[in-house]
Amino acid sequence: MKKVFVLVLISIFFLSVLSSLMGGVVNIPLKVVLEVFTGKVTGIERTIVIDVRVPRIILATLVGIALSLTGAILQSLFLNPLAEPYITGVSSGAAFGATLAFFFYLPAFPYLPLFSFLGSFLTLIMVYLMAKRNGKVNSYVLLLAGVALSAFFGALVSVLMVKSGRDLHALVFWLLGSFSGRGWSEVKLAIPLIPLLFIPMRYFRELNLFLQGEERAFELGVETEKVKKLLFFLSSLLTAIAVSVSGIIGFVGLIVPHISRLLFGPDHRRVLLASLLLGPSLMLSSDLLARVVFSPSEMPVGVVTSFFGAPFFIYLLIRRKN
Amino acid sequence: MIKVHDVWFSYEEASVFEGLSIEIEKGEFLGVVGPNGSGKSTLLKLVSGSLKPQRGSVLLEGHEVSFLSRKEVAQRIAVVPQEYHLEFDFTVEEVVEMGRYVRGGKGEHILEELNLMPLARRSFLTLSGGEKQRVVLAQALAQEPSILLLDEPASHLDISYQLELFDLLSRLNRDGLTLICVLHDLNLALSYCKRLILLSEGSIFAAGRAEEVLTPENLGHVYGVSAELHSHFGKPFLTFFSPFEKVNEGLQIHIICGGGSGSLLIHELYHRGCRVSLGAVNTLDSDEVIGRKLSLPMAVEAPFSPISDETHKRNLELIDRAKIVILAPLPVGPGNFKNLLALEKAVYLGKEVWVVNPDFKGRDFTGRVGEIISRIKEKARFFSSEEEVLKELENWAS
Repeated sequence: MKKVFVLVLISIFFLSVLSSLMGGVVNIPLKVVLEVFTGKVTGIERTIVIDVRVPRIILATLVGIALSLTGAILQSLFLNPLAEPYITGVSSGAAFGATLAFFFYLPAFPYLPLFSFLGSFLTLIMVYLMAKRNGKVNSYVLLLAGVALSAFFGALVSVLMVKSGRDLHALVFWLLGSFSGRGWSEVKLAIPLIPLLFIPMRYFRELNLFLQGEERAFELGVETEKVKKLLFFLSSLLTAIAVSVSGIIGFVGLIVPHISRLLFGPDHRRVLLASLLLGPSLMLSSDLLARVVFSPSEMPVGVVTSFFGAPFFIYLLIRRKN
Repeated sequence: MIKVHDVWFSYEEASVFEGLSIEIEKGEFLGVVGPNGSGKSTLLKLVSGSLKPQRGSVLLEGHEVSFLSRKEVAQRIAVVPQEYHLEFDFTVEEVVEMGRYVRGGKGEHILEELNLMPLARRSFLTLSGGEKQRVVLAQALAQEPSILLLDEPASHLDISYQLELFDLLSRLNRDGLTLICVLHDLNLALSYCKRLILLSEGSIFAAGRAEEVLTPENLGHVYGVSAELHSHFGKPFLTFFSPFEKVNEGLQIHIICGGGSGSLLIHELYHRGCRVSLGAVNTLDSDEVIGRKLSLPMAVEAPFSPISDETHKRNLELIDRAKIVILAPLPVGPGNFKNLLALEKAVYLGKEVWVVNPDFKGRDFTGRVGEIISRIKEKARFFSSEEEVLKELENWAS
């Protein structure tokens, strides 16, 4: 049964890659796409596929994985299925950091990811300290702290935007989360993500043990403080890089681990592996929707994920209440 | 094996230990008892390293626990927590496997040892309370520890699971596992733990063999309850009475009893502050034993002997001092018939005379009780049970 799920997930991933190569403002038939790769077709189709769509697909894949893994890690460390980079305000923290770099005209590398990272890490620590009461993370405080910090950083970002006098439209578009106009230079920015994506797998045991509560994990032999620090650091880094290339994309980190758990159970060995397939598929199909729904104009992909993610989040909230 | 030396520990709000020292030997089955808030769970957490003492040391095989790596500690010490929460849908074998974090592998042998194989693929969340407890124990044993700490492992279990669990623990203990077990149920502690520590307000009130520790005096001091230590089928067990309000302080009551017929009233009235006397009873009669324990004034006859004139006279003296005379539902034979005569005398002395259960069918072996009852019918008061007597006594509150 589970093997069937894996095959289905792999097929979905390849389907989303293919449709992302074909679909968009300009539709390119599969045959032409294949011919581009074999070098038979040059010209405009080649430019679209190689210089626009391929980097975009790589970015969406990496960001999808990064956000999903971060969601899974935060849900385990917070012992709360609602934790996610967007909801906890960590993405907003990263966005504020990035805007700051933007505001001071700093070169994108390394300042954009660095500032993003500082913003996300500080936010995560703040949320964690606020939400943790007597060794447990309180859902309500977690959500309220996330909302409050998001609003606060949102306000700071707005101030910087107004003061800067630069092209607001591009900034707003970026903040709402988008892969629009991203190319190979952004892929270069996201390259450091790749080795990082393999780290969470090394900690699947610890992530499992954390689901019994920090104290129990400690009793069973986990160096909880050390592991927590490392995973918080890693989560902030993943979020920061994702935000610096694509802005704030919400709910992916919530939906993907949940569906993974539904399909394969809560063991992180499988949750993390499934996230590697599901995260990119969700990201790519959302991006495809963002491109084609109001074609030729494009929606921010964050709008699409919120459109699906917010009702899912509300559903989880209601189910938890019962 | 474990040495707790001069440990000081306080939470933010309150100090728990001020200089606690305990040594635990290899192979012990140590019970830790004491009232809520006496520091039992805190002691376990200090031993497991979950909490660090502010002063003093906790040594595990000579090494400071907080200096050891978590892996080193978890390979030696396992904990069965009081509450185990898991909201995620893990299977039983996955939960047990988590206990192998410091050893590796899946720990199938533990599943077999605890008869959990049939449940291995079941979801932990669907198990009953007793099954969950067994899985959590298996998780702890999967660490292959030499010391197992248990925090009230029986609190959520019904009686059959309790016994099953403690029989299993005894077996593990015989095989060499050192056990430290916090317990609420003093009778469980009494029957299973080789050694007990009674904690009171963060210090050791008593330590030693169970019977030496759980004495009525110690329990009275520490828990503020009245307790009695009995032996039943050769096993010690405790019964408890809630702390009484001394509602009838100083009220003089004489109870005519024998054969255990008065034991309930003697206890209740004594603890309500009444000045109770008994008569006439034979030495070693169960009512006499209670009276002697409580040092009550009594008219006592030699064992298995009929009431002599002398004892009858003593009985009447005690009756004369009392305000109320109560006839317990005792059986009446030729040997103690004088107790009925004493009762009649009490009526003539103008005492308040209460008879518990005036139906003597099956316990009058003289055939003459009915006669006396009908003679005192007008003056005496009759109660159908001890509870009614106690209810009436509330009207006599001092």
